[in-house]
Amino acid sequence: MTSLQTMPADPDTIETLDPLATADRLIELTRAGTTVPDDNPYLAALALAISANLPVLLWGQPGIGKSSVIERLARDLQLPLETVIASVHEPSDFAGLPIVGPDPAREGIPMAPPDWAVRLHRSGRGVLFLDELSSAPPAVQAALLRVVLERRVGSLTLPPAIRIIAAANPAETAADGWQLAAPLANRFIHLPWLHDPGIVVRGLAGCWPHVLPPRLMPTGLDAAVRKARSLVCGFLTARPDYTHRLPTGIEARGGAWPSPRTWEMALRLMAFAFAAEAGSEALSIVVRGVIGDGAGLELMAFLERADLPDPEELLRSPGSFPAPDRGDLVHAMLTSMVDAVRRRTTRARWDSGWAVLARMAVSHPIDLLVSPAMDLAALRQPDWPLPTDLDRLEPVLALLAVAK
Amino acid sequence: MTEPGALDLVKLLAARYRAARARPYLAGALFAMTVVSSPTVLTMGVDRYWRCYASPAFVDATDIDELAGVWLHEVAHLLRDHHTRARRLFEQSRADAAAGRPSQLDPQHPEREQLRLNLAMDCEINDDVCAGLDAASGVRLPPWAVTASGLGLSTKEPLFEQYLHHLTAAFACGRLAWLDCGSGAHDGQPAWELDGTGANPLSPAQAAAIRYRVAEQIRRGIGNAPRGWQRWAEDISQPVQDWRRLLQATLRHSLAQVSGAVDYAYRRPGRRAAALSGTVIMPSLLKPLPTIAIVIDTSGSVADSELGIALGETAGILKAVGAKGNRISVYSCDAAVHTVQEVCDTAQINLAGGGGTDLRQGIRRAQEHTPRPDIIVVITDGHTPWPSERPAGRVIVGLLGPPPALDEFGVWHPLRPPQWAETVHLR
Repeated sequence: MTSLQTMPADPDTIETLDPLATADRLIELTRAGTTVPDDNPYLAALALAISANLPVLLWGQPGIGKSSVIERLARDLQLPLETVIASVHEPSDFAGLPIVGPDPAREGIPMAPPDWAVRLHRSGRGVLFLDELSSAPPAVQAALLRVVLERRVGSLTLPPAIRIIAAANPAETAADGWQLAAPLANRFIHLPWLHDPGIVVRGLAGCWPHVLPPRLMPTGLDAAVRKARSLVCGFLTARPDYTHRLPTGIEARGGAWPSPRTWEMALRLMAFAFAAEAGSEALSIVVRGVIGDGAGLELMAFLERADLPDPEELLRSPGSFPAPDRGDLVHAMLTSMVDAVRRRTTRARWDSGWAVLARMAVSHPIDLLVSPAMDLAALRQPDWPLPTDLDRLEPVLALLAVAK
Repeated sequence: MTEPGALDLVKLLAARYRAARARPYLAGALFAMTVVSSPTVLTMGVDRYWRCYASPAFVDATDIDELAGVWLHEVAHLLRDHHTRARRLFEQSRADAAAGRPSQLDPQHPEREQLRLNLAMDCEINDDVCAGLDAASGVRLPPWAVTASGLGLSTKEPLFEQYLHHLTAAFACGRLAWLDCGSGAHDGQPAWELDGTGANPLSPAQAAAIRYRVAEQIRRGIGNAPRGWQRWAEDISQPVQDWRRLLQATLRHSLAQVSGAVDYAYRRPGRRAAALSGTVIMPSLLKPLPTIAIVIDTSGSVADSELGIALGETAGILKAVGAKGNRISVYSCDAAVHTVQEVCDTAQINLAGGGGTDLRQGIRRAQEHTPRPDIIVVITDGHTPWPSERPAGRVIVGLLGPPPALDEFGVWHPLRPPQWAETVHLR
């Protein structure tokens, strides 16, 4: 202390010169920062899954920031966070501790829940974060099944508002890792968690991205559910083999795969995505996270086509349909419209077909129109006059002249 | 027809129409691209958001047949997901370089490496662009297009990752140094490209859906795709997984099952129970050590290099999961068992043999060993008879070489490993 006393400084600084207090303040300063909303699709996918109240599992390398994302999320949503490191717990910590009472034969043995479950139960809301899930031994994973699916910890039922999030390291990065058991894997939305250098740089500069729960349109809820139902049912009618498909590989079984349970989860997620008008990227990530890559990709391709305007609707009101932006979708829409005209060819339908084409010629690349226009022209009856919109289609003829 | 300096859009779109007519299964992907006129792009290029940049001067100067060929070329970069594969390769190379291993790309010279990548990618694509098309289709490649055969490379393994091994930096000189197909190919950042907003950018999910559709059309046989595209369509539906990961997962799973490893059991009460005044019965941890036998096919049909890789990988995994040296024995076996060793280190393993194959001998010998192995790992090319009965313990078969295929008489070549074994294809 002598050296401190001989230091020529004003009394204020000397008073606060407890070295650890200053160090703590410095640490506090390096961690201070703000959060901003971000349009990262993975964060949007996480937000979607959390608002749909389905258990999420983040897969990522150790140290990538999975836990800190969850901590920020809980802070942003002002929810109490209970972190449970699954790998250091015993099965009885999740199934409940058997406590032998005075008369076990008559009263049975109650399964006492651990303190974190009691705290969550008392507050009624919050986030349960199960960290290091893949390092948990199989018996612990089996005990976790009930927590994740039925929300039961011992004899206590967690309130329905509790969100369950888990994190796991892929088996190849954790020396003591276990494969996730297939029944447990099938209850989660699997989100791959990668580090985006840009986000890390902005975060270290003091600005981390912020997970905003999706804003659901209260007026569109019924329509969203109807659309999700018709999509999932339409897809599974066309591809019944995807209803349940347990992967053959051991590794793939610990991931996302289609089963009636995951289809139910996918249905709920799609309804949320439609009601929140979430981007296709976020929807694709969550859908692939529940039913797996193969089924997920096919479902997204199916969704893209199902979103196109109905050809009969096009022919009824050729002037006022919402046209897709993408050329391939416009081409698909026009092709199905020409097919509809071919199925039932009348002059009125043929004319409105030309009206649709003329409208597209103004707003889209003209090479998309060539083959639909040629097919439509071939349907002309000898006594029908030329369509009135032909002048707007002149560029198409010019293109055809160059291409020939 | 158009004023100087402006893009001749009619010609460019007419070329796209020709390309789509010649390759109907690629039409969806071609039409999904957005055209952006750019005076700074050298010829034509694509970015990772599926936008196609075209130079007005290039479009004017190039024949429409060749423009159609260039369209097919650019869409192939996007469909084959070259930018994602390039990024993966760069990341791998950076990790390798940091660990002091030889890396496929030199992370110190990203721009030169992008050019090399672009050359290798063009080799992968260009052989398919005009395969099976005649002059009447109105599509051909420009004479200056880079092809594998033009550079004197073997086309046996037609993926850019393989071509890259043979393309030294010296190839990227002369007029080839001007080649740049944009970030949709090499994942760099050329000066002319827009950012991720405006001009209809496609998201990775949308691109994946387009790829899926194109592959489905090729599989359904629309428009008789050339071999290269057919192989692409097959591969995309069954993504190739890293066999190291698969082998590791299978081994870990087996180890977990046989040893019960660090799982909970009530065989001995847990000591934590003492803290609860004896009213609670708690389980304790158990970790019996598994015994493992590795049976290696050293017959003449298996290449030593392949064997070395597979063996090294297996031993590495076993070590990582804590199987102790004297618990692993290695049997090298062709028609008879030649050496039996207990190993602590892969460097100790002697391989002997080189004749015909009968791994049943090796598996039988492994079974007779005391203590009896919990797991038998068999590494072979599959040209061997298999035991008719299931051995005790779990069997993992690491299969080298091509996967079994049916011949015209309905016989599998090589014989498929039996159902009771977990089979991992090591390739």
